[in-house]
This record gives sequence, C-alpha cells and structure tokens, in this order.
Amino acid sequence: MTSGVDGADGADVPAPDDPATLRTDVELPGVPGLGGLYARGVAASARLAALSRLGRASDRLPGVAYVVRGVRADPDRLTAYQHLLGEPASDALPAGYVHVLAFPVATALMVRDDFPLPLAGMVHLANRVQQHRAPVLGEPLDVRAHAQDLRRHRSGAQVDLVTEVRSGGDVVWRGVSTYLAKGVRLPAGRSGAETPDAGSGGGRRGGRPEFVPPVPTGQWSLGADAGRRYAAVSGDRNPIHLSRVTARAMGFPRAIAHGMLTASRALADVGRARGDAFAWTVEFAKPVLLPARVTVRVAPDLAGGGYAYTGWDGRCGALHLHGTVVPR
Amino acid sequence: MTDTYLTLVNTGVTKTIAKRLGLPRPVPLRRHRPGQPLTGGPVLVLHDDASARDADVVAGQLVGWDLDVRRHAASAERYGAVVLVLTGAAHPEDLSAPVLAAAGTLRSLESAGRVVTLSRPATADDGPAVAAARQGVDGLLRSLAKELRAGATGNGVVVADGVPVDAPSVLGALRFFLSTRSAFVDGQPLAVDSAGGALPGDWDRPLAGRVAVVTGAARGIGAAIAATLARDGATVVAVDVPAAGEQLARVANSVHGSALQLDITAPDAGERILAHTLSRHGRLDVVVHNAGITRDRLLANMEPDRWDSVLAVNIAAQLRIDEALLAARGTRDGVLADAPRIVSLASTSGIAGNRGQTNYAASKGGVIGMVRATAPLLADAGGTANAVAPGFVETEMTARIPALTRQVARRLNSLQQGGQPVDVAEAVAFLASPQAGGILGRTLRVCGQNLVGA
Amino acid sequence: MTALPSTTAQSGLPTDPPTPDGPRRAVVVGGNRIPFARAGGPYVRSSNQDMLTAALDGLVARFGLAGEQIGEVAAGAVLKHSKDFNLTREAVLGSALASGTPAYDVQMACATGMETVVGLANKIRLGQIDSAVAGGVDSTSDAPIAVSDPLRRALLDLSRAKSTQARLAALARVRPGHLAPAAPTTAEPRTGLSMGEHQALTTAAWGITREAQDELAAASHHRLAAAYERGFFDDLMTPYRGLTRDANLRTDTSVEKLATLKPVFGKGLDTPATMTAGNSTPLSDGASTVLLASDAWAAERGLPVLASVVDAQAAAVDFLHGREGLLMAGAYAVPRLLARNGLTLQDFDLYEIHEAFAATVLSNLAAWDDERFCTERLGLDKPLGTIDRSRLNVVGSSVAAGHPFAATGGRIVATLAKLLAEKGPGSRGLVSVCAAGGQGVAMILEAA
Repeated sequence: MTSGVDGADGADVPAPDDPATLRTDVELPGVPGLGGLYARGVAASARLAALSRLGRASDRLPGVAYVVRGVRADPDRLTAYQHLLGEPASDALPAGYVHVLAFPVATALMVRDDFPLPLAGMVHLANRVQQHRAPVLGEPLDVRAHAQDLRRHRSGAQVDLVTEVRSGGDVVWRGVSTYLAKGVRLPAGRSGAETPDAGSGGGRRGGRPEFVPPVPTGQWSLGADAGRRYAAVSGDRNPIHLSRVTARAMGFPRAIAHGMLTASRALADVGRARGDAFAWTVEFAKPVLLPARVTVRVAPDLAGGGYAYTGWDGRCGALHLHGTVVPR
Repeated sequence: MTDTYLTLVNTGVTKTIAKRLGLPRPVPLRRHRPGQPLTGGPVLVLHDDASARDADVVAGQLVGWDLDVRRHAASAERYGAVVLVLTGAAHPEDLSAPVLAAAGTLRSLESAGRVVTLSRPATADDGPAVAAARQGVDGLLRSLAKELRAGATGNGVVVADGVPVDAPSVLGALRFFLSTRSAFVDGQPLAVDSAGGALPGDWDRPLAGRVAVVTGAARGIGAAIAATLARDGATVVAVDVPAAGEQLARVANSVHGSALQLDITAPDAGERILAHTLSRHGRLDVVVHNAGITRDRLLANMEPDRWDSVLAVNIAAQLRIDEALLAARGTRDGVLADAPRIVSLASTSGIAGNRGQTNYAASKGGVIGMVRATAPLLADAGGTANAVAPGFVETEMTARIPALTRQVARRLNSLQQGGQPVDVAEAVAFLASPQAGGILGRTLRVCGQNLVGA
Repeated sequence: MTALPSTTAQSGLPTDPPTPDGPRRAVVVGGNRIPFARAGGPYVRSSNQDMLTAALDGLVARFGLAGEQIGEVAAGAVLKHSKDFNLTREAVLGSALASGTPAYDVQMACATGMETVVGLANKIRLGQIDSAVAGGVDSTSDAPIAVSDPLRRALLDLSRAKSTQARLAALARVRPGHLAPAAPTTAEPRTGLSMGEHQALTTAAWGITREAQDELAAASHHRLAAAYERGFFDDLMTPYRGLTRDANLRTDTSVEKLATLKPVFGKGLDTPATMTAGNSTPLSDGASTVLLASDAWAAERGLPVLASVVDAQAAAVDFLHGREGLLMAGAYAVPRLLARNGLTLQDFDLYEIHEAFAATVLSNLAAWDDERFCTERLGLDKPLGTIDRSRLNVVGSSVAAGHPFAATGGRIVATLAKLLAEKGPGSRGLVSVCAAGGQGVAMILEAA
C-alpha cells in the first residue's frame, strides 16, 4: 500500500474543497470482475437505502484511491470492441475502450462499504475524457480511480468518478464519469451547487432550452441485443442493459443502451479527424430504449474548434445525448 | 423435336409389334458428318444406249470422287447408289434396259441408298418421242422414290440441252443427291439450267471465304442454316428480330459469326444488313431469306393484320432487302459481286396449297416467283437465286401443331417422318455453293416426297 | 445549404497536361447490355455471373468475336457473393470469348462500370492492351445473404477445432438470435442512412422541388420509350430471360401520375418530403458491357468506332459530417475534368448524369450554377453555369431504365458513345456518375 496525492495533471474538474483530496492509494492485485461488483453493489445498495430512509446517509466519500498496475488490453476483446463500435481495428486503444478497461476499478470503489451512494439504479449523467495519446495494445497501463465532488442534484446526489490511466508514469488518459443517485438526500450545506448543465436523466426539466433536432448526418440502428453485445465487449453487464426482464426489475420498460455505447459510437463517427489527443465529452439525456433508431448529427463545431455530436429520437424528437470531440 | 413413333418402331419390343401389325416403319435417316464416305457402297452407273458417252463421263467423275464404280449390274452385289444416265433417251422404249437392270438391284440396295437419274427436260421443241422419253423419266423417278425403303431416296438431275453432264451444277447436284446431305430430299427432279458455277476446291468446305447473311437465324431452321453454312466454310451474319437476340447471340457465337438484331420489315433493313456485313466482314456473297411467320386462318375468317403481317415478313421484306442489295452492287465493293447467291425459303404450302394458310401460301408462292425473276439479275456476276421448299420439318413451329395432326403429317411422305432443320439447311447450303451456279431460279423441295403437292 | 469550404477542385489539376504526342486513343467500339429487370422480376434466379456472361455473349455475337482473345476484361458487382471472388474471369470462361482472355474484378460501388472503362481505356492508351471489355453487373434479387458475425465466427472456430471438446465449445456459443441471416442494405456503413435519406438531405439543402423531380423523371421515361421506338437499343441490347426492354420503363407515365405518389425519403426532415418511388431509381437486376479498343484493332476487324474516351476523373466528398451530400462527388469531379481539358461546362453536345435519383441530377446542376458553391467549395472564380437541358440524358437514364449498380456505367458509356456517333465527328459528351461512399466518376467522350 502506498499513499499519494491526487494528481492535478490534466484535471478539468477541480476538487479543491473536497476533504478527501488527500487519499490513500489501495493497490488491487488486478482488475476486479464486474459481475461480482454488481452483486456486491446490489447488496450494499439495499443497506444504503435503509440508511438513507433513516436519514443517516453519509456525506463522505471513501478516502482511498484504487490502483491496479500493469493492466493490458486483451487483443480479442479489443478487436470485438472495435468491430462493434465501428472503430478501425488498429493497435491503438479507442478512448471508449480505455474507459471499459478502467471502469471496473472505479466500480470497485463504488461498492465499498463506505461509499455513500447505492450502485443499483445509479444513472450515468455525463462523461468527460482527456486523452493525451492513445494507449496501444500490449502497453502496460496503470489505472487509478477515485471518487470526488459529491454534491447535490435537483433529483438526488451526484458524484464524479475520476479514472486516470498512466503509462510509464505519464497520464495518457483521464476520465471523469458523473453519476446520479436518485432520491438520495445529502445533508444541507454539502456542496449545494447543482450542476445545471448535467443532464437530468429524465428529459427537459429545470429550464433546459427546448431541444430542436438539427439536420441529421446519420442514423444508428441499435437492435434489441445492442445492450448484450456491448456488455460482451465491455464486461459491463449491468442488468438494465441486458434484457427487458432485467431492465424492468430496475424500473425501465425495456433494456436501455449503455450510455458509453452511444458516446463511443459518436466518437467513432468523428473518425480519424479527432487525432490522437483530444477532449471527449458527453452528456446523457433521455435513455435509449432498445431496440432503437437513433438519429444523429456528427459534424464540425466551428465555435468549439472540433466536432459536436447529437443523438435523438427521430420520431418524437427527444434528445438522447450530445457531446463534443475537440482535438488538441 | 423428337419423333417418338420413329423411335418406338425401331427399338425393342415395340419394333416387333410394329412389324407384326404391318405399321409404317420409318427408319432414322443417315445425315451428313464430315469425313463420312459419300455413299454406303459401290455405285452402279447404268445408261441407255444413246447415253453411253455421258455415262462414261459421269462414271469418270465418280471415280474421281474415290467411289467404287460399277458399270454392270451384278445380282449378288449390294450397291450404295444407282445412277441412271438417261440423257440421250429419245424414245420411251430406250428406258427399258437401264431401268430393268436397276430394278434387279433395288432389293439389295444398302440402307440410305440412292437412286439418281440424269436426264434432259422435255420441252415443246423436242420431238414427241423424245419429249415422251424425257417426261417419262420424271414419272419413273417419282414413282420409284415411293417404292424405296430404309431411308433410300430417288432424285433426278434434269440437265438442260446444251449443258454437258460434267457441268459444275450437274456434278454438284449429283453429288448432293448421292450424299447424306440430301437425306430428306426425295422424288425431286432438280433442273440444271446452265453450265455456270464452279466446282469447289474442297467439297467439305465449298463456302470457304464466303460471307453469308441468314435471316431468322435465332432458332429452328435458321439456326441450322447458320451452322451448316459455317460448317461449309462461310462466315455467317446471323440476323433476327431484337426480341430473339438472346438465342441469336448463342447461334452467332457458336458459328463464330456475328449477330445483327434487326426487324427485316424495317424500311432500312437492307441498308443495315449491308452496313453491318461490309464493315465487319468486307463482303457479302450469300443471302439466305429464312425469316418467316405463320398466322393461320381460313380465308373467310382472315383478319387484315394476319394477312398483312405474313406477307410483310415472308415476301415483302425479302423483295425490299434484295432491291437494296442489288442497288448497292454497282456502287459498293464486295456486295454480291462474285458468284452471288440468294436462297429463299419457300414452302410446300406455296406449291400445293394448305387449308388455313392462304396468306402463308401466297407469300411462299411469291418467293418461288421472286427467285425465278431474281436469278437473271445476278447472272452477270455468275450469280443465281433459288428457293428451298420444306415440307414437314420438326421445329418449334410444327411442335405447336396438335399431336394427332402432327403424327399424321409426319407420315404423309415417302420417308414416313418429318425432316430435321438440318435437312433444309443442307439444301440451302448446296444452293449457296459455287457448284450450284447453273441452277437458275429453281425451287428445291425438302419434304421427303410429301404426298401432297407436285 | 451550409457553406463549408472543404475539398477544392484545384487539388485535382495536373502539372503536366497531355500533349498532342501523348498516348494513342482508346475508342468505344460498341456495347451490349441485357434489359434491366426490377428486383424479383425475370432475373430472380439469375446470378451475377449468369447475367454478366449473357451480356458478354451478346457483345461477342454483335461484333463477331467468338473464340477471340481480348486484351483484358474488367467488370464488377456491388452486391457480390464471396464465391464470386473471380466473377469476371468466371464469366469470361463461360462466354464465347477465347479462354485465354484475362479478366479482373473492380468494385467502386455505383461507379464500378465507369471505373472499368477508365482503367481499361488507360491500358489501351498506354499500349498495354489493344482491346478490352469493360462491364458491370448487379443483382438485388440474388443478393448475398451472410450468416451473422457470431455464427460465422463460431462456424469458423468449429472448422478449426481439433477436438470434440473444442467443437462443442464452438457450437455452444451459438445462440438462436445468431441464426438470423444478415442481408445487405443500401445504407451507408458509416452513417447508417440509406442512399435515399442521404439524397433527401441534399435535396432539401438545395431546395429541389417535387415538381422539378417529377418532370425530370417523366422525361426520363418518355425519352427512353422514344429511343426504344426508334430502335436505338437494337444494337446496344440483347434480350435475356424473355425480357426485351427495361422492365421499369413506364411509357405512359406523366408528371400528373408521378405527382400522386407518396414521398418515401426525407420524411423526418423539417422541410416537405419530395422524393418518391417515381423519381427515384428502383432496385434492379442487370448487366452491361462496353467494347473498347485501339483504333488499329478496331480497323483490322472492320469494327465501328463510336467515340474515344478522352479523359476521366474521380472525386470523393466528406459526407460523414454534413459537409457535403453523399451523391455530390460528380459536382467536384466534373470541374477538375473541365479544367484539365480546357473546357467549360457548356462545351458539350450531350450530357449523361446518372439519375440515382431525379434530385441527384438537379442538385448537381444547382450546385454548378451556384456562385457560393463554385467559389467556396470548388475554388473557382465564378459559377460553372447552366447546361442546355435538352442535351441531358436524351434517351432517358436510370430513373426509367433502372439501376443495377455496377451495370450503370457501361450502360451510360455505350449509350453516349452511340449518341455521339449519331451526332457526327467532333461531338462531345460529358458523363457523371455518383456512387456510394461519397464518390463519383466523370468522363469525357468524343465522337471519333
């Protein structure tokens, strides 16, 4: 076990007031399996729900960062991922695949007993990635994940999971995933600022401007098995993505597409124009109920200096996601 | 088209039954294959006394064709062919000796045997006895042909006065009748009008170097004509309507010729044939007017369209195309310039008539008249025009005749079967050949000696 | 339209224009195609190889080439079975051509036929070959259907498995859902939009009206019908499987009848949908061939010379990110071709612009007459201008004839060559064919 200070390297999310900035690094022997983590998460969630009802939800994030060293991509899984998302099957790991590699480490943090929010039913609101260069197949990567910035949201509590991927000591990739735990009340005074730009997960509330669909440039046909197929390449077998039955158990009428499936597909649609180093953001709005046809626009965003993308339901005009890819 | 009856009476149990019942038992005709011997056995040349010199000439030619020639009938011999040289006969009594000599050989004639008479035509200028002798040969030939069995045929070469018996067309016709190329020609006297024409350098490829246009070439008789002309050495331009283009392409490619999709009734058909043929092949020597249609109706029920379309395709188009080609002879190189040949398809219906075919018979009768008048127009270049009149031939067209009618129609000839498209094609190829240059404006029937008609 | 200068015409300009002593000519001797059928029509059981062989045989028959060895045959298909890895060579072996005729496949989506002409004409010009047959074929009726990726992988693993256990493991991976076959679609792989939806975006951007599209569609049918009436196709076509004319041809159609059809593309846009089945091309089956040669080869055989292949140009656009319409590459290829040959858009007697959709032709024409497009996107000083519409697609085009993808180039080149020959020496024609993937090929033909 080592200790260290949270690196400010490339940080686009300041966490100055977080008392847990000084964290202890806990090194895990390897990337944990997500299946077990979800099982633990469901159990922990039940306990947390009970605590929450008693008004005793903790407002403190764990004071540890999880670290896994020497993580390597598996060539077959990488190829399967690249084929599914429409990325060229090169040795460069797509930014979305790095997320897939590192995600279980962050998830492990979220199923710790001292993590204050329940994993089950957690909604992925937004994701921001800074990639300095694309890691390549075979390159040993060190993954470090911690949670920060627990704060209130108009419909619950949100938290950022920060994952850093280093190679030879340099951060090559840094992702910040923002999750919402609905209905969780944080004690008053606790980082009261609600982030207005983060999606609500439920549509157009909170004075968000009405979404006007732009001219499309494409369409994604996502079959009923899209969640299972992405689960197969990402390892993320969250039941809400797998089937109608399992999604219903979690309160959704049908299986919903992984947010990162859609965001990664948009990243692939930008294609080689994104270069090797870029910032990739996404904000998720209405979940994509499977099967679905998502109408998309992926086009240069002159104001932002890169590409903007938007995905929506072509029939009802509801926004699913939007984001940017800005080369650096 | 298969003739099931023909197969049945020649094979197995059904053969025996047919024999017992005394049913007509047609035999499969032997047809030409390159390299085949000209006849199935020795050739017996007989003559009347006055024809001795001609018989010597003929026998000499036959020997030149590597045939085993005999001059006296021997009772034990099986002959492949009997040639009766009767050109000098001046009285019907003159026929007696050679004919009776031939009679003794007929029972032992080889299968697919041949009897060919050489005689002179009876004309008003002849003395009565001479004319009687000459016309008598015609009657003799037609009757004899009806007596022959086992695929044997009898045909005659009628040599105009003044034309020697070794004239190219006499020899050409004689050889054609002796050979299996004339398998379905029976009981026919064929006139040789002049000493014109030329013997081919190679009897197997008499059309070498010649360019032939065949209309209606996509299927049936036309396709067989294209194949036969090509076999005999010609370069073939296969013409048919655009709608038949798929089969036409197959025919053209199979004979290594070229295809021209063309409606022959188009006003510019002749010009388009010329343009295609001259540009691709540099010359045009042979035209075979084969394209034809039937639109049968009793005349009382005839719609104008049925009458007009048959006349338009079967005769008017030929006249218009010939007119264009003849007009181009003087002005364009290679057009019907050297020993040109026009061969048109007539029909026995045009000779003997056929119920329900007034329009067709009118058009085919027209063809017979047309070639007679066209031949002289080509004479300056050693050319000629002739017609072939098929009888019942197994084609897609005759396959549409109701089954019973078809069975009867097939048997109504001396060979008791329908002809094959190739039989017509062989006659066309002969008339298109250099050795047919002395046959002027004639119509040769390929009908197995159909019982109806002349 | 959104103005985004991207690809410019200037990048295609040559540094060394052809000299008078340049390569010899490659000429179009003639062509042959089978009538185009509608999908599921009379060619439903015919494979690409069947149809290409039929088109080849018709060509061979027309020009009396049976048993001849041709310099090279190039053709292709867009929808291609994996078993057809040597499609053109197999067709040659089944044809009346000498079996010593080499052949290769080309695949450039709907521009496949054009590209075969370009490549072979260049070989002839360079003296590498003296004669060639260019062509293309497509069957939407006999389209390849593949097994799903998971099933395919499982089957491949199964075939490689050495032990029973490994075989069982491979089989165990197969799920019922994997058994559903995967049929090809006309959707662009990277955008997921069908060609029609892509064109609908372009149509809307250029404000092409329904009326203009229907007028062009009606003209296509009427002109094709008139060409058949005058026997124009008698030496360009060989019937196949009982079909003697393009099955899609509607001689009796009219602007009024076309106006009654419901739009099928662009229904999700905020502008009125204008593209119908009537002003779009139907899915078709068919094949086409073009006989190319050097002047000497043609002369030796007494073959006609209809036109020479003067020059050609391919272009591609970035349609992925809304910069340009999928089917607008021809608008870029043509000005490059004009510049290289010192010609203006108006210097042509005839124009053949492939009617992928009526709106495709109209969008291209609108772009060439648009100042902003021509200056910003093409990098020109001024618009290319308009063309005399009476010289455009004068015997109809794909809306009426149908569009078996790879066969369209051969249809157009043979047709235009004959039209130019009819017009007389020196007459000049321009071809533009758009293709999937944002590509296009343009070509100049000149009557010999």
